[in-house]
Amino acid sequence: MSGKKLLLLNGSPRKSGTSYSFARTMKQLAESFGNDVEIIHAIDYFDGKEKIEHLSQLIAQNDIIAMSAPVYADFLPYHDIWLLEKLTEECAKELKGKAFFAVGQCGFPDITRIEPLIDACRFFAEDTGMNWLGGLAYGGGPMINGALLEDIGKKGEKITSGFRLALENVFKGEKISIDAQKCITMDIPPIMYWPLVIFMNQMTKKQAREAGNVDYTKKVYLE
Amino acid sequence: MSIVILDAMEGSNSISDKLKERMLQKSKELSHFELRDMKILPCRSCGVCGFKSPGKCVFKDDMHEILYAMAKSSTIVLLAPVRFGGYPSSLKKAVDKFALMALPSYTVKHGHMVHPARYGSKMLIGIGVQGQASKEREESFKRLVENNALNGQFEHKSVVLNASDDMNEIEQVIDNLLKGVC
Repeated sequence: MSGKKLLLLNGSPRKSGTSYSFARTMKQLAESFGNDVEIIHAIDYFDGKEKIEHLSQLIAQNDIIAMSAPVYADFLPYHDIWLLEKLTEECAKELKGKAFFAVGQCGFPDITRIEPLIDACRFFAEDTGMNWLGGLAYGGGPMINGALLEDIGKKGEKITSGFRLALENVFKGEKISIDAQKCITMDIPPIMYWPLVIFMNQMTKKQAREAGNVDYTKKVYLE
Repeated sequence: MSIVILDAMEGSNSISDKLKERMLQKSKELSHFELRDMKILPCRSCGVCGFKSPGKCVFKDDMHEILYAMAKSSTIVLLAPVRFGGYPSSLKKAVDKFALMALPSYTVKHGHMVHPARYGSKMLIGIGVQGQASKEREESFKRLVENNALNGQFEHKSVVLNASDDMNEIEQVIDNLLKGVC
């Protein structure tokens, strides 16, 4: 399980948000198993701060590639799809045969909302001849809001243990197990959605008051 | 009633032309946006559109023109090649900004938590085009349209066409898809 090289792509435009926090914990865990890990930010390639040739070289140097990304409008964010398209066009030779897995997170507790993101990563792996090792889905990313997992108590411990199980699979070349997913799944029964909504709407109103009593329901594009 | 087409097809093609022709028969108020030519900046998750500038992105790009049309529309059509079982970047650059069509508060619809719609309900139509037929990717594309509709609290319809299909067949599929629209 040691001596491998893992390249983690932070798929969020935020460089210290929840997707990055997840990547950071996976880096620590993988390094504790004796592997080399590097985290890079997909947005830097979109913005032209880094060159695709650089990423191509990194991919060639690594055994396993992973994407940790937020759900934007039910799918990977625009800049991540742009990057996967670029990689498909320009780095097919480097990607072929490498292992690939993904971690998606979204604002709602229901993890089925993350499935299209995970599927997109699987289809990307298929298109490029990579070895798809599966994905993990976390519902409730904004509740973490970029916090370090070691700072958020039991919730952070559960997610970390899920990542540990997933990485044990990945470094053995196995598909990520359902047990890893079970560890990170928040079991909020749908009957609890309304109380949660009432609580979150109170938070929304508080934020609006703090911003100067703004009317957040404005129909700005009809004015 | 007005219709918005977000067209992410690559270059001139008969599917876009046919769709536009059929939509013009449905409504004279048609806004056809060819996304490949439009400058739409990526969402940076800055959060400004929540409370500082409610419902409006602070970036100056072509998305505002699309959002003015979408806000008053009754039907939004997404037309794009299927990429990784979903939308290509050329369409996703616009779809990421659909968040502006919703409020920052929460509600429950159809057993799911969602953000309430800012501009009321609409019909969302997704048309994907595949180079090579794949049932799995077709299903994935349709599920993405369904999820977008759930988030927007829209009605929805979707179809995946094969680029190699006969144009008469494609016409029929488009006609069936547009039945009852507007």
